[in-house]
Amino acid sequence: MKKYFDILVWALTLLLLSAGFSWGKVYIDITSPSFRKLPIAIAPFEASLTASGEMKLGERATDILTHDLDLTGFFALIDPKSSGEKIGQTSPGKVPETEDFRRWANLGTEALILGQVTYQDRSLTLEARLYDVVKKELIVGKRYRGEITDLSRMVHRFADEVVLALTGEPGFFQTKIVYVSKSGGGKEIFLMDFDGRNVSQLTRHQSICISPRFSPDGTKIAFTSYKSGNPDLYLKYVGGGEERRIANYPGLNITPSWSPDGQRLALTLSKDGNSEIYTMRLDGSGLARLTNHPAIDVSPSWSPDGRRIAFVSDRGGGPQIYVMNADGQNVQRLTFQGSYNTHPSWSPRGDRIAFDASAGGGYNICTIRPDGADYRVLTDNLGRCESPSWSPDGRHLVFSGNSQGGPHIYMINAEGTQIKRLTFQNGGDTNPYWSPRIQD
Amino acid sequence: MLRKSSVWLVVLIAVLAMAFIASGCSKKQVVKEEAAGKPVAAAPAPAPAPTPGPAPVPGPAPVPGPAPVPGPAPVPGPAPVPAPAPASKAEEAIDLAGLRLYFAFDDYSLSTKAKENLEKLGAWMNRNPNPKIQIEGHTCDIGTAEYNLALGERRATSGKMYLERLGISPNRLSTISYGEERPMLPNKDEANRSKNRRDEFVKMK
Repeated sequence: MKKYFDILVWALTLLLLSAGFSWGKVYIDITSPSFRKLPIAIAPFEASLTASGEMKLGERATDILTHDLDLTGFFALIDPKSSGEKIGQTSPGKVPETEDFRRWANLGTEALILGQVTYQDRSLTLEARLYDVVKKELIVGKRYRGEITDLSRMVHRFADEVVLALTGEPGFFQTKIVYVSKSGGGKEIFLMDFDGRNVSQLTRHQSICISPRFSPDGTKIAFTSYKSGNPDLYLKYVGGGEERRIANYPGLNITPSWSPDGQRLALTLSKDGNSEIYTMRLDGSGLARLTNHPAIDVSPSWSPDGRRIAFVSDRGGGPQIYVMNADGQNVQRLTFQGSYNTHPSWSPRGDRIAFDASAGGGYNICTIRPDGADYRVLTDNLGRCESPSWSPDGRHLVFSGNSQGGPHIYMINAEGTQIKRLTFQNGGDTNPYWSPRIQD
Repeated sequence: MLRKSSVWLVVLIAVLAMAFIASGCSKKQVVKEEAAGKPVAAAPAPAPAPTPGPAPVPGPAPVPGPAPVPGPAPVPGPAPVPAPAPASKAEEAIDLAGLRLYFAFDDYSLSTKAKENLEKLGAWMNRNPNPKIQIEGHTCDIGTAEYNLALGERRATSGKMYLERLGISPNRLSTISYGEERPMLPNKDEANRSKNRRDEFVKMK
């Protein structure tokens, strides 16, 4: 990922100003559990090309934007083709005519996105605007300039602007998912965009790599590899590729979890004869033991306020989720449903903990409140679902499931109502972990 | 224990499995280049430190006239004569694959059969004082990869601790967990999974 996506952005400030005070309005109250989906239409992006003509840039931009907005679950997407008549695009910088707005309104949409892609002098420009169809005014307009390869990135950035403008919260379209995939007989770490595009291979250890975890600033990944024979902990810089081993005690050096400030890792070591949870600094110093129990203790996950840690222990017989203070005090059992609950992941919003569970005859992704209330099963009939990880906005999860061969990586919303498969290779993709928002 | 019946089932399966495995099912190398996993050729290891003549018997005991059969060790049962390694420069051969230990799901306790295998291995290690053994803990693919790493570690440690109790020096024993990462057979059904929930023994250089 050495490439720098040098996208120049101009907010169309004048247009914004002319749009009055629509900035402050929240169109979708996503804090309400029963918010209404906002009807939105995306007119096919126009493309004007002076160079290579067959790239279908406009169609690609429209597809990516449609896919992004659909994933959020915030929108009811209105198909422009459902209108018999062609609704005219508007040339850049020009507000649609009142008559155009009326036609869009007749389709039942309340919001409209118009856009144009221009490729000229080896420079790609994407310009897109979001309109309030009812008020007939602009909500947000952006222009991005970059290279031809930046198209999807530009569209994701605009999608983030749309979600921010309509909900008051940024979207997750500029995020990545790190995961483990079988490759050449081993298991290596891979990276992809949140939507499954732009796959790249991060490690070439020709060994077993597991449990990759993004640092809170998105620059580093901690993971375990058997490269040197033992499951040791490594730190890898995503941009530069530099990699170093940071824990190689005898036995297990596994399941890293970043503290919210990025200064420490919680991890599992078995050097004292039994798997226990410890924390340490990134250079391996300041090792502190948190658990002290003859049972298995593994898979820590820090709360977003840094004060507590969820983990797995079989001290009650089978593996269950427990919560303790970040200093190891005040251990409390969280799950009592079913005999097998593992892999806790604390939501970045702090309000729920996801885990995988042998519930209802299969292995499913579940969530529960940190006080043990409101247990929910999200997945159903997806085979064995494992290893949930939250999106940075805490509204979606990725996990691995094996119902369609695989295992493959899936995305699901926190309510469990919308699911999307992200990977399609045959090798077997597991251990997904969602990055924080990554700014270029 | 609630799991007793399933333990017996596993023992049964294990016995069958070992018969099958012993018949030449070579271990699948899922991942290449694993220093730890390098199986040592069955070649005779460098001669164990030449034992001075009357080695085995610790308490020489007042030797009565007829030397030969002092019935030195009080060891009851099978192991016939501990001294039959007279020319014992070479290391005694052992079928480590035949000694694999099998476990019930989410369990790391040793079955009766597992203990028998460990006792055989321990006896061999006592007779052959040089080889070092690494115990690999493995799991089936049910459950999370991370928890299975910890579970595999426990399985390996269960085997190691039992050997230590048999008097094997901890310096000759090491453990590694591969969790669910190196199945012996594809995890396609319960019969195969039960064979993947195992400890393997690997001779270390």
